[in-house]
Amino acid sequence: MRTVRLYLRLLGAHFRSLLEYEADFVILVVATVLMQVVNIVFLAALFAKVPALNGWTFWSVLMMFGAVALAEGVGSLFFDGMWSLAWQINRGELDYFLVRPYPVALQSSSANIGVNGLSNIVMGTIMISTGLAHVDIAWTPWRVLLGVVLLISSVVIKLSINLATNAVSFWLSSPTPLFAFAMHQVGDLARFPLSIYPLALKAALGAALPFAFISFFPVAYLLDSGQSRWIGLLTPLVAVYCAAAAAIIFKRGMRRYESAGN
Amino acid sequence: MRSYRALIRATAKAALAYRFSLLLGLGAVLVQLVALLAVWRVILAESAVNGFTWPQMRAYLLVAFAAGTVVSLLGDFRMAFRILDGDVALDLVKPIDYQKARFAEAVGGLWIELILIGVVVGITLAVTGGVDTPAAPALALFVTSMLLLVPLKFLIVYVSTLTCFWTQNYMGVQWARLAVVNLLSGALIPLAYLPGWLASVAQWSPFAGLTSTPALIFLGRVDGRHGLQLVAVQLGWVLVLWFGARLVWRAGLRRLTVNGG
Repeated sequence: MRTVRLYLRLLGAHFRSLLEYEADFVILVVATVLMQVVNIVFLAALFAKVPALNGWTFWSVLMMFGAVALAEGVGSLFFDGMWSLAWQINRGELDYFLVRPYPVALQSSSANIGVNGLSNIVMGTIMISTGLAHVDIAWTPWRVLLGVVLLISSVVIKLSINLATNAVSFWLSSPTPLFAFAMHQVGDLARFPLSIYPLALKAALGAALPFAFISFFPVAYLLDSGQSRWIGLLTPLVAVYCAAAAAIIFKRGMRRYESAGN
Repeated sequence: MRSYRALIRATAKAALAYRFSLLLGLGAVLVQLVALLAVWRVILAESAVNGFTWPQMRAYLLVAFAAGTVVSLLGDFRMAFRILDGDVALDLVKPIDYQKARFAEAVGGLWIELILIGVVVGITLAVTGGVDTPAAPALALFVTSMLLLVPLKFLIVYVSTLTCFWTQNYMGVQWARLAVVNLLSGALIPLAYLPGWLASVAQWSPFAGLTSTPALIFLGRVDGRHGLQLVAVQLGWVLVLWFGARLVWRAGLRRLTVNGG
């Protein structure tokens, strides 16, 4: 509890400093909304001409886009500092973190706040709920609960991949998180139904870096469509696996850390 | 002129030093290419949609990829930080024109971008099959359009970095620009798929020249006269933006405050 309270206070401090540049704040928010609107216009224009993409309707693909936006948004708003881990390692700034009685990974991830996350969370939620409202699901308490679990798992997977790929900076010692960023971009592929891709990409997005569990598999399970809908049920397990893997990679990396030397 | 040629040479030599920022910019365009190729392959496998066949769409997406890769090496962030960090003050005392100097740098980075385009286009064609090249007159018009794309894209990026005279944060401006360009240039989806009013807005905007114009000419979807008209619009925007950017620059300079000495 104390950890959570401290974490939010750290973020709060960044948030207040952000509000100082009001114009920049507004530009960032507007830009993120614009990006999602462009995505929606693209999908709407595409599906106006074709009824379905490999059996997936506009509403289901919209939900997949929304799930990615939501997971990304949580990552930016609450854990944006992860992206500065490479810089913190390269500059030896991790020294400060090591002497404080607070988990290093959390100190790193609260080192920054991405206000664009706020608009991505809102837009993602809108996209998912609009999608849900237009598809035929028989809602039972069990299904609602499952939906919530799937959503949380999806966000955990995204955060874990972020942490794990950024922790690779312990080995690369470059000041910019290039590897993590490249993987983040690859993750954009998972906004589309996995079934449209060739086998190699399916394996990459489904198993090696399980981006497909952020969007495609949970949505497929919830909508009860596609050939392998039961895979979506594995999402919570994949989340646990990813979180554990990320924690191990981060710990291993910490052992390699040798400061910058002044 | 000599000093600008020197800048082109210097950037061309240093180009490899920016390979990381290049790969970073390339990543997004490459992911979009892969995703859209997969999407359209599935959709167009059954029948043509809106008059686009699969080989045509493939060619369209490759032109879009090429257009998206050109002029991205010396990332706009370098230009933006020049203003944000105040380095621009040093440029003001140099006896060369700021805008021309930045354009020279963009030109200097072209060679490495062209190599990357060649590699990616080559691999894609090898994996998914060839494309038809248009007849000589259309090909000439296509090349002209691609050449005009270089100053056009540079100017759009350049003007967007000038907003740093007014805002502290360039990230949001960049994102907004990328989003608008992606949609209105036709890079995300051919303009013919957009609702009528939006398509005509896009057609006459400076952004159509960034993908739609060269791609449609390459595919032979526009006849000679219409193609010439589209290229003329491209040229018109290059001129408007070139002189318009000078006005923005002058207005921006009045806002400039640089600390320290």
